[in-house]
Amino acid sequence: MGKILIVDDTLFMRTLLKNILFSGGHTIAGEAANGEEAIARYHELKPDLVTMDVVMPKMNGIDALRGIKQIDPAARVIMCTAVGQEQVVKLAIKTGAKGYIVKPFQAPKVLEEVKNVLAAS
Amino acid sequence: MKEVPAKVEHNKEWIVVKIGVDEEHMVLPAPINREISYKSIIDLEERKMALTLTIKGEQELMIRIASVEKVLQIIKRLILGSCNAYRLMAYFMSPAIRGGVMVNTAQWEKGSVVVVRSGIWFVSAAKQICIPLSEVAAIELTKRDVQGKPTDVIRIDSVESGEVVSSLVLCPLSTLQVLNNFLKDATKGIDMKGTELDGISQQVAMLIYSGMDSHAIENMLNIPHKQLDEIYDKILNLGLAEVVTIRREVQLTTKGVRYITDATKTQKN
Repeated sequence: MGKILIVDDTLFMRTLLKNILFSGGHTIAGEAANGEEAIARYHELKPDLVTMDVVMPKMNGIDALRGIKQIDPAARVIMCTAVGQEQVVKLAIKTGAKGYIVKPFQAPKVLEEVKNVLAAS
Repeated sequence: MKEVPAKVEHNKEWIVVKIGVDEEHMVLPAPINREISYKSIIDLEERKMALTLTIKGEQELMIRIASVEKVLQIIKRLILGSCNAYRLMAYFMSPAIRGGVMVNTAQWEKGSVVVVRSGIWFVSAAKQICIPLSEVAAIELTKRDVQGKPTDVIRIDSVESGEVVSSLVLCPLSTLQVLNNFLKDATKGIDMKGTELDGISQQVAMLIYSGMDSHAIENMLNIPHKQLDEIYDKILNLGLAEVVTIRREVQLTTKGVRYITDATKTQKN
């Protein structure tokens, strides 16, 4: 079980992810609504894992991933984006994302991906 | 002609036979005594280690064959290679996304896409995967990064044991457009015209998709039970969902209250 930071600009998606992760026995370290906030919260909370939306205002998820990787090269980040934006997968993986989920998602698969990423490192 | 062991349904009973197969026909021996040209097969369905073949004719004939996986693979390969169906050579990735999570082991496979009456088959040297048309949730011509270039692909979403699975098909754009139109026509029963939900109902539908139960939905959206019930009615009436469980809320009777009071006293003692 891990301590997780949820990054998404919509309250609805954050609440959904919070519910899914909580039901899987994880602890919610905190939430952030954009990339800048995500980096600051990561620095402050040192979570075990981050779920990171890609399209966000102020700073997008890929740039936030880069920022987090600068603070902690071993950071475990799962990218989370909408259907049709799968082309950013390679870029995210190249930048250091450990996993990838596509919205809309189903709870058991999200928990499985989180478990795999937490277990891998 | 090679022979493969199988069971064939005959007069509502399964009988053990050796089916003769070559590249163009299969022969079902006595007591069935029937030679079937693969070209006459217009549908192939697979369910629980059994194949159902539909044969074209004045009266359509259905034949059910059961066997071990290895034998069924041989029969499927032969039928899908020659049956009466829409067929094209393509690269496919199935499954590519499962429940919203990219499948790490997914890779493009060279093979063919065969569309029969009841399903879409992905066939390669190593795989024969069928998506029943009744389980197709969406078909979309979209773009996907292939070898560093944004490339046109068709994404087919289907529901497999309650889980949404996406498969991708890659071939020249003109062929993709023909396939896209063909698939849309074959699945026109899932036309979404007239299916519109307001914001809150959409959120409820999204939460159902993600696996949330009524209690979680009420808490997450901060809506009363009655409102959720009305939204459920709307979603059910549009055919977007089905009832799987009816949960009851109860309150204790006087007898129940007395029982709990007594039980608590006993615990104190």
